[in-house]
Amino acid sequence: MSEDISNLPPQVQERLLRLQQLQQTLQSVLAQKQQVELEMMEIDQASGELQKLADDAVIYKATGSLLIRTEKGKISTELTERKELLSTRTSILAKQEERLRGQLKDLQTKLQQDLNPVSPSPQQ
Amino acid sequence: MENKQEDELRKLSVELRLLEQTAEAIQSRVNMVNTVITDLTYAAMTLDGLEKEKENSELLVPIGGSSYVRTKLANPDKVIVGMGAGVSVEKTFSEAKEIVKKRLEDLEKTRMSLQHQFTQVADKMGEDREKFEGLLAKLREEKASKNV
Repeated sequence: MSEDISNLPPQVQERLLRLQQLQQTLQSVLAQKQQVELEMMEIDQASGELQKLADDAVIYKATGSLLIRTEKGKISTELTERKELLSTRTSILAKQEERLRGQLKDLQTKLQQDLNPVSPSPQQ
Repeated sequence: MENKQEDELRKLSVELRLLEQTAEAIQSRVNMVNTVITDLTYAAMTLDGLEKEKENSELLVPIGGSSYVRTKLANPDKVIVGMGAGVSVEKTFSEAKEIVKKRLEDLEKTRMSLQHQFTQVADKMGEDREKFEGLLAKLREEKASKNV
């Protein structure tokens, strides 16, 4: 396979490398986005459970490996703030994803144009 | 004709690679689910055992590295259950057991669904491999007959 690539013109080789890099970056952005979305879902679930509890319920918040006692109002506010922060992060990641997909599409089009003259001509 | 077959081979090869990646991703999720199921099964067993104990019962609490600290059960009626997102809530034993049971049931459903997806992907991979090998053999045969 690498031998096949080394037979291609240098410009095409560069574009192929760039394509691989963009694909890797996109995968990383998608993984981060998925992680953030999962965390947001977890916050929604925890907030839902908190709402069912009485105001004086015994609640603890994890700090490292410790659990520290907290109050319903305080932890609810913290969760809301955390969710807002994550929501901003998701928007940023979504924009990055869109930009990367656009760049990938452009590069794929250019590569197809580069590679077409190289590939054998269709049956005559 | 050969070009068409070569294109088909290339397509199958890409599809197979994607299917392999999908199968790996599903397998890794199954492993994760299995880990959580084991963890929750231990929790259920611990709750069952602790429920029978009285206040001030002596316990050994694991601190890792096969080491334990000696403690006394301060409140045999309540346990602290994690709700996700770093929030834990005090619950009665029966509530805690119900939560653990529900989570185990949900995870079993997730595991079943993942296993079903895995089987579908594996079947498709089998089909594609068969097609791939058939096409490859045909192409080699054609090339060999041309060279004669």
